[in-house]
Amino acid sequence: MNKSSIAIVAILALVGGFLLSWYGYSNRPIELENGLWFGEQARALPEFELIDHRRQKLTRAQLQGQWSLMFFGYTHCPDICPVSLQTLSDMVKAIDDSDVTSALQVYFVSVDPQRDSPEILADYVSYFNPDFAGATAELEKLTPLTRSLGIAHALRNKTEGNPVYDVDHSAAIVLINPRAEYAGLFGAPQNAQAMARDMTLIVERNPL
Amino acid sequence: MPRLLLILALLFPASAFAELEFSDAWIKNLPPSTPVRAGYMTMHNPGPGALSVVSVRSEAFASVEIHRSFMQDGMMRMEPVDDLEIEADASIKLEPGGLHLMMMMPKEPTSPGDEIVIFIELDDGSEQSLKMTVVE
Repeated sequence: MNKSSIAIVAILALVGGFLLSWYGYSNRPIELENGLWFGEQARALPEFELIDHRRQKLTRAQLQGQWSLMFFGYTHCPDICPVSLQTLSDMVKAIDDSDVTSALQVYFVSVDPQRDSPEILADYVSYFNPDFAGATAELEKLTPLTRSLGIAHALRNKTEGNPVYDVDHSAAIVLINPRAEYAGLFGAPQNAQAMARDMTLIVERNPL
Repeated sequence: MPRLLLILALLFPASAFAELEFSDAWIKNLPPSTPVRAGYMTMHNPGPGALSVVSVRSEAFASVEIHRSFMQDGMMRMEPVDDLEIEADASIKLEPGGLHLMMMMPKEPTSPGDEIVIFIELDDGSEQSLKMTVVE
């Protein structure tokens, strides 16, 4: 490599560094492979109070200062929920920047509080990744959060005393930024490798 | 000789030989506290006629049903499939996010590497068995 090409590389690096720092704001436009980034359209979440898999409160304030991915489902769900949680588990393994993984928290929120106790959720989420968190709440406490995220859910064929029923639910994975705003969406079916690249891009361009 | 063939044909009607071929049969493992598992596989019907799967059972589960996941009104739903028809010389894939075996209440906790025998009953009354492997 001669001197002039070294100089060109140095200038490109400077320009690149400048562009990176310019992008170092939250909510700048980002093109995702597998999801939608809302950019300036990110919306503040309402106040909510769930109970997590350790029987601690999970509130909006706790989502501040981290990137959160939330998936809504139920543990009696044989097909979609294990597939989505496995995808999230594979995604975390595929991210090779530890600054990205340490800034990221995955939540599995059960929309079936009657059957999914915190203990069952603890068992379930840790099967996929020991760092994943579970959470749930009575439906009236859950609905303000799910509604604000556009997550639909409904009990199907639920009758008094019948333990066998399905829960219909959105299969999207929602992204919440460090200001606790709804910042993006990964629609089903998700791809772990593409999501890993997308999350790396998002977190690296928006340092905490 | 023609008479012998005729007798054989009467004794063993073609449907008695009709068999599905199964491949890539696996069950997604889940922790012991979770009372459901999903099973997946490819079913191939080498012909000559269409075949339908009318029931599935396993000694290892309280019940097994064929279900289909599908999207409706922005939500994932599941519905039972009572009669899964496979055309002659065609295959059907049970795969994540679509058709699957809904396997309820395992009688013992499952672990990756376990082999679970299931029985598949066809509409001609015949029954076939196969082994499914539990995968992490």
